[in-house]
Amino acid sequence: MTPLIKVIDLKQTIGKQKVLDGLSLELYSGECLGLFGARGAGKTALLHILSGIDRFKSGSVEILGCDIRKSEAFKKQLGLVTQERSLFRDLKVYENLEFIAVLKNTGLDSIPDLVKRFELTDYLGEPAGRLNAGVYQRLSMACALLNEPRLLIADDLINDIDPYAQRLILKELNRFVTSGGACVWGFSRIEFCAATSRVGWLEKGSLTFYTPQEAQEQWESQLLSIEQQSGGENA
Amino acid sequence: MLRQCLAIARREFFFMWRDKSLRYILLAGPLLGLLIFYATYSPQVLKNIPAAIVDLDHSRAGQELIKNIQAAENLKITAYPGSYDELEELIKKGEVIAGVVIPEDYGKEVSLSRQARVEMIVDGSNMIYATNTTSAMLSVTRTLSAQTGVKVLVARGIQPTQARAAYQPVEFREEAWFNPTLNYAYFVVLALALNVWQQCCTLAACMNITGETGARSWYQIKALGLSRLRLFFSKSAAQIITFMVIALPVFFLAFVVCKLPLRCGFAVFLLFNLAFVIALHSVGTLASSLAREAVNATRFGMIIALPSFLLSGYSWPLEAMPPYLRFIAQILPQTWYFQGLNFLTFKDPGWAFMSQFFLAFLIIAAVCYGTAAIIVARRT
Repeated sequence: MTPLIKVIDLKQTIGKQKVLDGLSLELYSGECLGLFGARGAGKTALLHILSGIDRFKSGSVEILGCDIRKSEAFKKQLGLVTQERSLFRDLKVYENLEFIAVLKNTGLDSIPDLVKRFELTDYLGEPAGRLNAGVYQRLSMACALLNEPRLLIADDLINDIDPYAQRLILKELNRFVTSGGACVWGFSRIEFCAATSRVGWLEKGSLTFYTPQEAQEQWESQLLSIEQQSGGENA
Repeated sequence: MLRQCLAIARREFFFMWRDKSLRYILLAGPLLGLLIFYATYSPQVLKNIPAAIVDLDHSRAGQELIKNIQAAENLKITAYPGSYDELEELIKKGEVIAGVVIPEDYGKEVSLSRQARVEMIVDGSNMIYATNTTSAMLSVTRTLSAQTGVKVLVARGIQPTQARAAYQPVEFREEAWFNPTLNYAYFVVLALALNVWQQCCTLAACMNITGETGARSWYQIKALGLSRLRLFFSKSAAQIITFMVIALPVFFLAFVVCKLPLRCGFAVFLLFNLAFVIALHSVGTLASSLAREAVNATRFGMIIALPSFLLSGYSWPLEAMPPYLRFIAQILPQTWYFQGLNFLTFKDPGWAFMSQFFLAFLIIAAVCYGTAAIIVARRT
């Protein structure tokens, strides 16, 4: 099976700081890769490269068979949810859906279904900039899925939002992945690992892969070791 | 592609309309400018200029002179100070703008048919007042001087008709073309209002690129793989249309309500404005591409827009400027615009002459848009 994402020896620097230091990864259809790491570990830098927002220093990145340095064709089959509020804040909810659908060169037919699935009916006339965090993320996810993408890049998808919105978004994410889509989802809270099929632990510019269970155990063992260290120091 | 362009343009209209401050600036700025300037300059001439007369002579001839000055058209004698120092104090306080000092020996000199000297003082601290006052005072003193001269000649035995003829050897007939009444409002009101308009447009155009690349929604646009050319072309088209639309009420008020002159056809005038708006927008877009953030873009806009009218040669002739300033002025579209505006509204010199203005706009637009495109391609 051909991977949807194939990254080899990717390096990225921001200013003089080395953010990604020769990492490699592959992602296949039907897979949800959780990109876990502390704040500042380089998750957003990696996700921005994968979504074609930022250029990178060296290495090779192939998405949906395209070398992303040479072609932007992969963007037609890409959905993006950013860490920051990146929808058009001056447009209303429905206008955002409509505008992004047109920019994605897709029809408006999918909008009613997405509005229903993400329960946005009551908010259609509200400016996106004024939505609460949960509704905003529901809208972001709906916009990302407008073109029925094969690949979804999501940064902090359900961080700090209400449980209802979390549940709704995770349900749709699961539906997307089981229907053959692939997702890279960046987060910094270990409990979200459970919703992924594989976890890429990003630390010091490198990725280490775990199953969700292993990632949880690794986290707990790190916590334990810190507690023991601080316990020993206190004693 | 067309669907995308239209959607981007539509969103740009929404953006400008929903941004309250931008909406008010664009809509109200130029209109308010026209109304204020028209109200200010509509009297056309300065009347009732406050003046004082110091009569140190108290002779009959002096009294006669005072009567003549009192009858002067645009002067209003508001004080009769007793001394030169008192007059100075009144001018210092701004209570009077001009003063006439009749010397102690005025009556004696006139009766002896000798040359009498009357001092005319003008407050030069306000150029507009000073120029108008001098002109008002000169019209009185010229007439008085001639009358006195005629009297002297008559006293020396020359026939009155001959004496009068001696003071009018050459008749200078003034004839102002294109603005026969030398109406200052015609000259300045539309230009000042359009100056406000071009300043608002420049500031808005300076957000063309940074307004988009500096916003978080830029991530969405980049991830969509949308052509930057298509994006900025569509945005620019929407902005240019908006700039033209907001000028229409100003033109209506100026030419239909206020009856300011427009010698050329309205279609030609609109075309000229459209060419200018495109050139102006290109300058704003270039500034926007150079700016790192929205605040910088606004600063660039102000640096370009504010002095451009002064440099345009409208309020002070280009020929009287130092060569380096003239060069800077000529690369600004505002210079070509305000010069062309004067030609079109007063003279309508025809296509052959006006084509140089259109060519200038075209060159400015090509250079600025081209450079901005290169910068944007490299940066984003």
